[in-house]
Amino acid sequence: MSQPAFFAEPVAASAFSFLRGASAPADMVARAHALGLAGLGLADRNTVAGTVRAHVAWQGLGGAQSGLRLIVGARLVFADGTPDIAAYPVDRAGWGRLTRLLTLGNRRAEKGDCTLFLADLLGHAEGLALVAMAGDAPLLGALGEAAAHLWLAATMPRGGADARQLATRMALAQAAGVPLIATNDPLYARPQCRPLHDVMTCIREGLRVQSAGRRLAPHAERHLKPPAEMARLFAACPRALAATGDLFDAIGFTLDALRYEYPHEPVPPGHSPQGWLEELVARGGAARFPAGLPPAYRATLAEEFRLIAAKGYAPYFLTVHDIVAHARGLSPPILCQGRGSAANSLVCYFLGITPIDPVREKLLFSRFLSEERDEPPDIDVDFEHERREEVIQYIYRRYGRERAGIAATTIHYRQRSALREVGRALGLSEDVTARLSGTVWGSRGGPLPAARLAEAGFAATNPEIARLADLVGQLVEMPRHLSQHVGGFVLTRGRLDELVPIHNAAMEARTFIEWDKDDIDALGLMKVDVLALGMLTCIRKSFELMRAHGLGDYTLASVPREDAATYRMLQAADSIGTFQVESRAQMAMLPRMKPRCLYDLVIQVAIVRPGPIQGGMVHPYLRRRNGEEKVTYPGPPGEMREVLGKTLGVPLFQEQAMKLAIVAAGFTPAEADGLRRAMATFRRHGTIHHYEIKLVEGMVARGYTRDFAERCFEQIKGFGDYGFPESHAQAFAWLAYVSSWLKCHYPAVFTAALLNSQPMGFYAPAQLVADARAHGVAVRPPCVLASGWDNGLEGARILRLGLRQIEGLRREWAEAIVAARGQAPFAGLEDVARRAALPARAMALLADADAFAALGHGRRAAGWDARRIAPRQLSLFAATGAPELAAEPGPALPPMPARQEVAEDYRSQRLSLRGHPVQFLRATLQAQGLCSCAQVNAARDGARLRTAGLVLVRQRPGKGNAVFLTIEDETGVVNALLWARDFEAQRAAVMAARLMEIEGHAQRSKEGVVHLMAARITDRTALLLGSDAAPAPPRASHPRDMRLLPKSRDFH
Amino acid sequence: MLVALVGQARRLAAVNPAAAALGLAPGLPLADARARFPDLAAAPADPVADARLLERLATRMAAFSPLVALDPPDGLLLDITGAAHLFGGEAAMAAAVVAAAVAACGSAARPALADHAAAARALARFGAGAAQDVRCLPVAALEPGEEVLAALASAGLVWLGDLAARPMAPLAARFGEGLVRALRAILGEVAPPLIPWRTLPPIHEEARFAEPIARTQDALAVIEALLLRAGTTLQARAQGGRRFIVELERGDGLRRRLAVETGQPTQAPAPVMRLLRERIETLADPLDPGFGFDTIRLAVGRTQSLPPRQIDTAGTAAEAGDISALIDRLSLRLGADAVCRLAPVDTHVPEAAQRLLPAREAPPQAWDLAPAALPRPLLLFDPPQPVAVIASVPDGPPLRFRWQGQLHEVRLAEGPERIAPEWWHAPDGQQGAATGPGHALSRDYYRVEDAGGRRFWLLRHGLFGETEAPLWYVHGLCA
Repeated sequence: MSQPAFFAEPVAASAFSFLRGASAPADMVARAHALGLAGLGLADRNTVAGTVRAHVAWQGLGGAQSGLRLIVGARLVFADGTPDIAAYPVDRAGWGRLTRLLTLGNRRAEKGDCTLFLADLLGHAEGLALVAMAGDAPLLGALGEAAAHLWLAATMPRGGADARQLATRMALAQAAGVPLIATNDPLYARPQCRPLHDVMTCIREGLRVQSAGRRLAPHAERHLKPPAEMARLFAACPRALAATGDLFDAIGFTLDALRYEYPHEPVPPGHSPQGWLEELVARGGAARFPAGLPPAYRATLAEEFRLIAAKGYAPYFLTVHDIVAHARGLSPPILCQGRGSAANSLVCYFLGITPIDPVREKLLFSRFLSEERDEPPDIDVDFEHERREEVIQYIYRRYGRERAGIAATTIHYRQRSALREVGRALGLSEDVTARLSGTVWGSRGGPLPAARLAEAGFAATNPEIARLADLVGQLVEMPRHLSQHVGGFVLTRGRLDELVPIHNAAMEARTFIEWDKDDIDALGLMKVDVLALGMLTCIRKSFELMRAHGLGDYTLASVPREDAATYRMLQAADSIGTFQVESRAQMAMLPRMKPRCLYDLVIQVAIVRPGPIQGGMVHPYLRRRNGEEKVTYPGPPGEMREVLGKTLGVPLFQEQAMKLAIVAAGFTPAEADGLRRAMATFRRHGTIHHYEIKLVEGMVARGYTRDFAERCFEQIKGFGDYGFPESHAQAFAWLAYVSSWLKCHYPAVFTAALLNSQPMGFYAPAQLVADARAHGVAVRPPCVLASGWDNGLEGARILRLGLRQIEGLRREWAEAIVAARGQAPFAGLEDVARRAALPARAMALLADADAFAALGHGRRAAGWDARRIAPRQLSLFAATGAPELAAEPGPALPPMPARQEVAEDYRSQRLSLRGHPVQFLRATLQAQGLCSCAQVNAARDGARLRTAGLVLVRQRPGKGNAVFLTIEDETGVVNALLWARDFEAQRAAVMAARLMEIEGHAQRSKEGVVHLMAARITDRTALLLGSDAAPAPPRASHPRDMRLLPKSRDFH
Repeated sequence: MLVALVGQARRLAAVNPAAAALGLAPGLPLADARARFPDLAAAPADPVADARLLERLATRMAAFSPLVALDPPDGLLLDITGAAHLFGGEAAMAAAVVAAAVAACGSAARPALADHAAAARALARFGAGAAQDVRCLPVAALEPGEEVLAALASAGLVWLGDLAARPMAPLAARFGEGLVRALRAILGEVAPPLIPWRTLPPIHEEARFAEPIARTQDALAVIEALLLRAGTTLQARAQGGRRFIVELERGDGLRRRLAVETGQPTQAPAPVMRLLRERIETLADPLDPGFGFDTIRLAVGRTQSLPPRQIDTAGTAAEAGDISALIDRLSLRLGADAVCRLAPVDTHVPEAAQRLLPAREAPPQAWDLAPAALPRPLLLFDPPQPVAVIASVPDGPPLRFRWQGQLHEVRLAEGPERIAPEWWHAPDGQQGAATGPGHALSRDYYRVEDAGGRRFWLLRHGLFGETEAPLWYVHGLCA
């Protein structure tokens, strides 16, 4: 052929045609470009979810300069039997009509589905170019009338009768006056994708490949084909090939045409957004600096305003301010606080969005917003977790559902889910897949390593297993479905459904859009993250309790700063219940860090993270901090001092890693930004490795040691998992400080608030209560005469447990009791039941919780009586108020042994004020030579010990080379560590034990923290289940008995 | 170890002794069990099969007692009143029963003896060791439900004795009538009747003659009458016979046995008679009445459920009946494996799209031909026959080909129809690009008509790119 063939693929699907397309959008674009196609039309089934990814990939190739054109649309699949029609918007208005059309179908259907009818399309067809995949003359006629551009698709599917079908299509096209357009209707990029596509078909239809038969495609032809091949296939109809050019010429729309406009609501009439923002900031500044702004602040503010004005971001700040101001203006106000990089901004600080003064903390605004980065700022705000819904509904009210929507989260296949589904599709037994997925710790992506297979007892050379491993590797990271993001809102000035299709969420009264966070970033849309934080709820409830009991009136901002007693408490690792610094790893770090000021807490919060730990930066920092190592700066003198000065020459924060790349490895700011993005998405795309060579070699070339360079890179990789920028650590450190201050000075208040905010935090109520008691708080049991629903105070250091601690008890029952109690004191059980109108179940729960003790009824007697009271009452007796029940002979129940009282407490409230289950075994354990937990914690370094306790936590963090165990007895808590090599042999005991005996040697750190290095684990649960004072031994434990014990937090 | 689906979670339903020794117990979620022992072998529980096994066991127990009751899922109750002395006393009898049960189903059995069924049952299920006193059973023996159990525990009532010692009315007021009823049953104060498990006796018909029958014809007439009687019984049970055994006893004590099997369950005598006649005709040693048969017995050896059917007036059923009768007769003559039926297989690979199954076992299936784009040839060669073909590359239709020494000029051609190999059969587990040796190749099929109007189904084995020189075959002839 003298002239190279011309072809642009008009109708391609990607993996966002869920379980139908087998290649990612970016792969389709890359392949189309590599094959020399003139264009690619991406049309997924009733969705545009993959279009942004394709667009980003296309721009990465150079956009229009690449020689490939990209048009985006959707393949409309109808519920009324109409053949599929691919629709491409010709212009911006057409895009709006397409997204409204899809929204219409989405809102009509159940979650995740889209129900469209031909009439819908005919009503929205203006500005759309249509490609009918099949059809008859009447359909084509109707479409031709509705849309300005219409083609009829012709395919050569290698089905045996291609030529005949093409002839029929040509005749139909001729008759209807509609041009033919050639397409291969591809579902994947390469023929090699066929097995994955077959597996997807099986997953979709619940089939197995062996028996799916003709429901699978007969061949691998539905891949992107090069122009020459298409020209050969369509030799009989070259016009259809040329028509692909006409389609692409007709379309002037790309996603670049989407112009985002901020909502106008937050700006009062008569003001410009920038002017109003500056006014609000000036007011905030005046409140903080009544004597006038110091010069440094004025300079910073001017710089920020300049950038905000240049970029036109003022409405964004105003929108966030509006939401925050609304939450604070409610009665009672909702606590909220900005997190993340917004804390770098003085504007945010003066607007009250963030609590951090960036000038004082020397934070860089450019980390938040910079000239070079053309992307909108990202402000995340935490709200009280129990009241976030109020904020969300406010946003819907203020902006309307057609202008506000929650971003999507694309749920991808993870190794475990991919393994299960591919295994099923390949016809492997559940046993095999269960064994394999048992070896997958966590849910990381990537292919199955052969070592994992071997661990599960499979040879990687077994063809079935090799196929499984290969296909799992291909399926992992493929999108699976869309779900709603936790709280990322997109707000627009115009209709949101003309920007992006909207879906119904599973949750009532929620809708979400089709694009996820990355898509929104890529398009430069504004997003406000409305997040939930349990600790804010707890702090608000603490402040309320303090106000109610005359203990002071505080807000988040007015808590006394730099309180020495609080830091003394933290230095002693006394941090149960506090924010961020309460985990076991944090507690181990506290005595080594010895925080003395808020900035120490900032570092403390940031240092116990995968990034610094992976990068091996923790120990050097601690040594330098404790003066055991000279503070030196790597590389050319002076270069690093500026970057790493705050952290003693050790990079700990995300922005330090970025700056390091710029200063030490010679990255351009744009490259550093690429690195930052790679950090964030490392797990999904693995693009960070491109930067590895550049960073390490760059640093070595500029005089850094290779070891330091490699550790820096390791750390940057770690940030991909969970990296803290400094400003974020600042925001969190403040909450950590406030919660610690509350715990230090008002332990009863803090514990009550924590219990009232459950579920949250790391510890169960039993540990929180035990900790409060250890700090001199008197804790009183739940009681029908004294308790409300919530836990409350009966004095500054007296905590009364609330009825909410009783499992199964309903709030309305508790409120009825409080109301009835207010009218007149209760005379007895029957009186409680009648006046609070409690059902039998409520009475039984209260009795079993020993809440009638104050009425003179012990648990056993109350339980006996409570179960007798009839659920409904005869009105005759109600009128007289006389007791309804006749006297009956005394039951003569045996007294309840102390051990059972404790067990019943645990069953009813998951904690006991009477004692600890293990204390009743102490004599037995002691006789066997076991130490108490307190003895372990007091042991000398290296002592060989045995101890036993209830299992609180089993964890296998990170790379899984150690298992962490926390056990508890009546004397305290022991932290033990079991190496993975010792774990497998004792797996059953480790995983099954409720009461665990651990034999090992004590390891005492310099700071006095003791870990038990476990060698042998024994399951002693049977000891707990033994019963005393029984005429004969019980046969076996009933599963119910197992629940006497608090459930531990486990890692499997 | 068996696993059952309980709600959303899969839990252990039963464990073998080895698993029990590891501390696993029924009720534990499978995920937890696997966390402890990753290489645990688990099989799905089959309650239907369990129930059948229990019924079979109950049938066996008829040897010990006429009154056997099922206590599902895994218990049997035997009323041994007046039977124990036959087995050497109660203890010896219990041992014999256990031995018989273990022999029959291979799993362990736990016996208990008591004056009342409920007590024996409670002792067997909840008793520890040899304890015989129901008052020492835990309250769980009342099976009161979790909530009541917890309430009893918190009241300090641990053993049945604790309950029995107290007045019943307050117990009923608190824990329900059901609990008191169960308690009284175990204590023997009330005795709910046992519902006996009735096994259906095998169908057995017999005719005795004062005057021996000397003619085979007469004997057959008697057999037919017996079949009619057996058919009535079968009908009442909604069953049909698959195997019929006839025993003829001659006056001099010689016995002849004849057994026939039908492909479909039947209640009517006619098909059986036809088979019997065939059998008698083909006997090497003819049926010799001698001085005549004085007893003829008929047993139905195998039955299958045959629900009553609407009488079909259109006559299609009769036709189907004819075919199944034909299959029965041919199978009898030629052997069961020699009479086969084609059954469809859902696959793109043409030669694998059907398979032969023994006609008597395989019910006829509907053929779904719709997805095939083109009609398949009537005749398929197995294996396909190699031909030399001239065709345009890469996938043009054949222009001419030589087959069996004869040159065919292609006048008309259609295709290709491309069928890729089934990658999941690849021996090395790879399935991507099918290049390299040992890989299955794609096929392109063409329907062609030669100058003489003959139609062929030609196949090129291997695409260009898959293989250097693809081979051509004739895979079939079209009409």
